[in-house]
Amino acid sequence: MPKCTIDGRELEVPAGTTVIQAGLMVGIEIPHFCWHPDLPVDGNCRMCLVEIEKMPKLQIACNTVVSDGMVVRTNSEKAVQAHRTTLEFLLVNHPIDCPVCDQAGECYLQDQYMEHGLHDSKVEPEEKVRKRKVVDLGPIMLDAERCVLCSRCLRYEAHVTGTNSFEFVNRGDHTQIATFQNRPIEHNYAGNLADVCPVGALLSHDFRFKMRVWFLEATESVCPGCSTGCNVFIDHRDGEAQRLRPRRNVEVNKSWMCDIGRRQYKEVALDTRVTGARLRSASGWEGTSNATALDLLADRLREAGPASAFLATPQATNEDLLAFRALAERVGGMLDFRVGDPQDKVQVREDNVLLRADRNPNTQGCLVQGLGRAGVAEIVNACAAGGVKALVLEGPELLRRPEAADALGKVPFVAVMATHEEPALDRAHLVFPAAMWAEVDGTFTNYQRRVQRIRRAFRAPGAAAPRWELAAGVLKRLQSPLAASSAREVFTLLAGTVPDFAGLDHRAIGPTGRVLPRRPDEVATQEARA
Amino acid sequence: MAARVVTVNRDTKPGVYPILVGMGITLKNMVKTMFGRSAATIQFPEQKRNTSGRYRGIHILTQREDGTPKCVACYMCATACPAECIYIEAGERPEATIEKYPTRFEIDLLRCVYCGFCVDACPEEAIFMSRENDLVGTSRAELIIDRDRLMERAKLGEYGPGYRPTDHDVRRPVRIAALERLKQEHGIVPGPPSR
Repeated sequence: MPKCTIDGRELEVPAGTTVIQAGLMVGIEIPHFCWHPDLPVDGNCRMCLVEIEKMPKLQIACNTVVSDGMVVRTNSEKAVQAHRTTLEFLLVNHPIDCPVCDQAGECYLQDQYMEHGLHDSKVEPEEKVRKRKVVDLGPIMLDAERCVLCSRCLRYEAHVTGTNSFEFVNRGDHTQIATFQNRPIEHNYAGNLADVCPVGALLSHDFRFKMRVWFLEATESVCPGCSTGCNVFIDHRDGEAQRLRPRRNVEVNKSWMCDIGRRQYKEVALDTRVTGARLRSASGWEGTSNATALDLLADRLREAGPASAFLATPQATNEDLLAFRALAERVGGMLDFRVGDPQDKVQVREDNVLLRADRNPNTQGCLVQGLGRAGVAEIVNACAAGGVKALVLEGPELLRRPEAADALGKVPFVAVMATHEEPALDRAHLVFPAAMWAEVDGTFTNYQRRVQRIRRAFRAPGAAAPRWELAAGVLKRLQSPLAASSAREVFTLLAGTVPDFAGLDHRAIGPTGRVLPRRPDEVATQEARA
Repeated sequence: MAARVVTVNRDTKPGVYPILVGMGITLKNMVKTMFGRSAATIQFPEQKRNTSGRYRGIHILTQREDGTPKCVACYMCATACPAECIYIEAGERPEATIEKYPTRFEIDLLRCVYCGFCVDACPEEAIFMSRENDLVGTSRAELIIDRDRLMERAKLGEYGPGYRPTDHDVRRPVRIAALERLKQEHGIVPGPPSR
């Protein structure tokens, strides 16, 4: 464990740590363009030059490994002058089109200029295009003129996706990045290119001209797109999500997320959202209040008793699942969640980067809580045989299955919690408006059994409520109320009842999540399946 | 401490004299206003008050030579606006040097506080203020003026231009503050890098 001193602060770092990483450990950010924590070191931008005692020349902090007794100065006169000179060089060929550039506000060049530069340019800005601008590469817009040639995109393509789409072309100050024959980026991880680019050379097509980034508010959450559970920020303004951005978690997604995940925010603002409860009558659908609908559901469940069935959804949070399970246990009906067998796909990789075949964020949470009980086929058979008087669905998955349509037709009362309008909802008798992941507090358990927090970014439309609140509403009407009034308290109940969650609460989960301990019997089954 | 007692004498009646003095002043002012040139009121709307060249009235969006807005939808004005009265939606222009322009640019003139920050913030000299100050409408919606009405105003010319970016160097306050910080924190006075 070598000890070093950075700007007068002494610290001990693991062997192999570079100066730039050591600086970050004590909150000293050395200016840089080409260094990225999840990409190999290249050392081409020369922005991170620091002065190291006993070394005759300045050294790049990103590729200098800390050795014992090293004394580093990042703010000495020599180092500061080097930062300024490097910046001046980069800005000579940079078009000052910040007013129309979407990167403005999160641009390294802008930030470094305000922090280290502030020089007067020696060249006059001119209204002339020197390199290719506004090149449409599918999900990405390329502007070669804004590029600082840091090669982050090249390294990302080479080491993360393995697709090598980008290359430097031409030489000297004519160098620019390009794809072969302007081919569009076709893989599922293009959005990260806009994130790794420190300037506005690669920008997201989806976010183009939509919003200036300083208006956005970021809420920490988890992508609901698949069982990987990539950590994200929901960037939103005035109650509307504008984009998803990966949040670094070395254990799960590093700094990346896939484009399918990035598009998840669009679902939230669709105008097909279910915004109020409704009830089917002889003349068609009839809008009603959540309270009336809950009264009705409670009455039906009281009548049905054990002749009822419950289907949870792996789209729901752990908190939703707990309340739903409590409801099923109180009424005494059949319970399961495995519509379409998501439990078989939860570990299956769709590609060798992040995406997994199970497109539900919380299948593992259902498994941990033991919701796979009666069997979906058995429930459907019971429905077909007329043995189910009331069926409660936490999500509309079963309604979408054509093979279950006949069986569902024989159930006199089907209640469903739905987020979006769809034709399948016509097979139900009562529809509850459910809030989506960006609108609720809670936790998802990803494929690694890592429990991760999702946070409420904005309010749900209309009367839409979290699923656990709806389930708790029915429980209250059945005279066995849930001893919780917030997602946080529901999680505390969960920690008290499911041994895997013992000792955890929302605060203890932390920003990067907590992995649940594996039960011995589970390890055995997992190994048997493998 | 004992209370002080003041006896007010209400017996004497006010004479006619003070009334006449007051009437005299009124009469003098009336004559001055009718025949002299010291009237404080003007005959609005036939006659308009003469305002200074830096008067901050209703906004104007300037145009390029081809009649398109000079604005590039950078949202600087909306960012600087303390009343949050500017709404912009951006669209794409074919020219690579411009790229962006406002497809919608609306100012809620009832929310606006006429501070002129939008003029200061604009990097393109695309928005400035006219001297027009009489605002009439029959509904609130009518006084949210859109991009095309803001651009037409440039032709009006009846009131003349008001507060414009040329009135002072808008970049200076930010730059001065940044330079000050650099000097204090790093002891650097920028200029060309020394060799």
